[in-house]
Amino acid sequence: MATGSSNSRLEAYKEKWGPKVDRYKRVWGRFAQHRLGVIGLFILVMYVMWAIAPSWFAPHSTEWTAYLGTDPGRMTPQQIDSLPHPPAFGDPFFAPMGTTDQGKDVMTELVYSAQNAMYIALAAGLLSSLVGVPLGLISGYYGDTWIDESIQRLADITYGLPFLPLLIVLVAIRGVSTTNIILGIVVKSWVNNCIIIRGETLSLKERSYVESAKVAGASDTRVIFRHILPNVLPLTFVYLAQDAAGAILAEASLAYLGLSDFTAYSWGIMLEQIQNRGFVFEAWWWLLPPGIAITMIAGAFYFIGFSMEDVANPQR
Amino acid sequence: MARISLRYLAYRLVVSYFVILGIMTLAFLLLRLMPGTFADALVSPDMPREAREAIVEQYGLNEPLWRQYLAFMVNYQTGQFGWSPTYGTEVWSLIERRLPRTLVLFGASFIFGYIIGPLVGMYLGWWRGTKRDKSVFAAGLVAYSMPAFWIAWLLIWLFNYELGWLPSSYMMSQYPDDPSLLAPFEQWTWWRAIVDVLHHIALPLFSIISVGWVGAMLVMRTQMNTVVDSDYVYLAKAKGLSERTVMIKHAARNALIPVATQAIVGVAFIIDGAVIIEYVFSWPGMGALIVDTVLRRDYPTAQAVFFILGVLIVVMRLLTDIAYTYLDPRISFEGGE
Repeated sequence: MATGSSNSRLEAYKEKWGPKVDRYKRVWGRFAQHRLGVIGLFILVMYVMWAIAPSWFAPHSTEWTAYLGTDPGRMTPQQIDSLPHPPAFGDPFFAPMGTTDQGKDVMTELVYSAQNAMYIALAAGLLSSLVGVPLGLISGYYGDTWIDESIQRLADITYGLPFLPLLIVLVAIRGVSTTNIILGIVVKSWVNNCIIIRGETLSLKERSYVESAKVAGASDTRVIFRHILPNVLPLTFVYLAQDAAGAILAEASLAYLGLSDFTAYSWGIMLEQIQNRGFVFEAWWWLLPPGIAITMIAGAFYFIGFSMEDVANPQR
Repeated sequence: MARISLRYLAYRLVVSYFVILGIMTLAFLLLRLMPGTFADALVSPDMPREAREAIVEQYGLNEPLWRQYLAFMVNYQTGQFGWSPTYGTEVWSLIERRLPRTLVLFGASFIFGYIIGPLVGMYLGWWRGTKRDKSVFAAGLVAYSMPAFWIAWLLIWLFNYELGWLPSSYMMSQYPDDPSLLAPFEQWTWWRAIVDVLHHIALPLFSIISVGWVGAMLVMRTQMNTVVDSDYVYLAKAKGLSERTVMIKHAARNALIPVATQAIVGVAFIIDGAVIIEYVFSWPGMGALIVDTVLRRDYPTAQAVFFILGVLIVVMRLLTDIAYTYLDPRISFEGGE
C-alpha cells in the first residue's frame, strides 16, 4: 500500500473538512461558555434517552401494579386503602416516586411520557419553522407589496384568535390525537416566526451582498434561499426552541382541560388524572414530578434557545 | 407633536376593521366545523321526530350555512349578539357581566407584569454577566417554563389548603358573613366588597404575574445590554452623573421602546394565561366562559367571546403602535400608504 497516496488523501480530507470542523468547534466553544445552555442540553439528552429506551430507565414495566407486580390478582382492601402510596424503597414494593391511586408507578409513567413530549416539541417546533420562516422571508423580501400585505393580514387574523380556545376548537374538529394537537399548535405558532423573520429580512435585503447578487442576475428565489436564508438560520433555531417549549406547555394545558389522547402517556395527562381523581392536595409525590418534568423540558428548550441567540448574535 | 398623520390612522383603522371581519369569519367557520351542536344536549332519542325538528328549527340550525353566516355578520355589526342556548340568557348580558371581571384580572396582571418585568430587566441588563444577573435570569426562564395551572395548584395548596389564608375560587365570597377577614366591616359596603375582591384576586393574579413578567424582562435585558455600551451612556457617565441616574434616565428610557413592541405579544400571552387561570380558579370571566361554551358547542356564545377577545387584541395592538411613536421620536407614521 502506498502510504504516500493515503496520506495525501487524508490531507485532501483535512483541507476540505478542516475549516468546517473548526467552525463547529468555535460555535461549540461559544455555546459552552453559557452554563445554562449546557445544562439545557444535558436535560434534553436525558429526555432523549428516556424517549429512545424507556425500559432501561423506568423501574418497572407499564403493566406493573403495586403489591401485585405483573401477576394477575386482586389487592386486599387494606392495600387498596393505602393507595396512592407515598415513595417506597423496597418495602412493600419499590416505587421511588410513589404510586398513583390505581397502583401504577409514578416514575415509570414519567419515563414513558418522555417520548410523547419529545414528539410534540420537535414536531411542533419544526413545523412552525417550516411554515413561518418561508412566509417571513417572502413577506420581508417583497416588503410593502400586496404579497407582504396579504401575508401580514393573515398573520394579524391568526394573532387575534386567542391561542387556547382556538386550539380546543381545532382539536375538537379533527379529533383528539397527538398529531392533531401538534397541527393545532402550528396553526397559531407559525406567526411569531413569520413576524421575526420578516423584520430580519427587511433589513438584510438592503445589504450590499444582496444587491450584488441581484446585479449578477440571481433570481428572487435564489437570492431569498441562497443569500438571505443562511443569515436568518441561526435566528430560526432560536425560535424553533421557543416554539418547542410553548408546544409542550400548550399540550399540558389541553390535557388539563380534558382534551388529550388518553391512550398515550404524557405528563399533561398525568396532571389531568390527579385532578380528575381528586388527589391534587393529597399526593405531592404524584403532583410534583409531572410538573417538574414539564418545567425541565420547556426550560431546557428556552435555555438552549437563549444561549444560541447569544452564539448567533454575539454582542461583542 | 402629532407624529401620526390622520391619513395613516384612518388606514390603520380600516385595516383593523377588516382584520376583525377576518377573525369573525374564521371563528364562525371553525366553530361550525366542530362535530355536534348545542342542540344535541337538548334533544333526546326518545323525543318524537317533530319535537326534535322543532328544536333544530327554533335555533335556525337547519338554515343553509351561508345564510347563518350572513345573519351572523350583519347582526354582529349592528350590535346584536343573540341568545345563548346553554345559559338561557342573552349573550350580551353574559358578556356585559363577565368582561369587566376579566378586564380586572387581565388589566392588573398586565400592569404588574409590565412594571416588574422591565424593572428587573433593567437591573439585569445593566449588571449583565454578574452572578445575580445569571441567577435571576435563569429563575425567570424556569418560571416561564411552568404550566400555569400547575403553579396555580401549588399556590392553592400552600395558601389555601395548608395555610388557609386565601380563597381558592370565585371572585367574591358567596355568603357575606363567611370569611373572618371581613369581620371588621359590619355591613356589605362598597369598600368591604373591594377588600373581598382583593382577597379573592390575590391567588389568580399571582399565578399570572409569576409567568407574565418574564417576557418583558427578557426583552428589556437584551435591549439594556445593547444600550450600555453606547456613546451617550459613556458621555453621561463622564459628566459625572451617578450610576443610578444614568441607568434610569439615560439608558432605560431608550431600552423601553422594544418593550412596547413586546407588549403586543404580551397582551395575547397574558390573555391566554388568563383563560386557563380563570378556569382553574372558577373566576367567572370570559376565559372560563369561552372554554365552557366551546366544550358544550354553544356557538352563539363562543363566537361572541372570540369576537370580543379578538377586538381586544386588535385594539391593544393599535394602541401600542400609537404609544410607540410617542416613545420614540425617530419613528413617524406620517407617510402612510
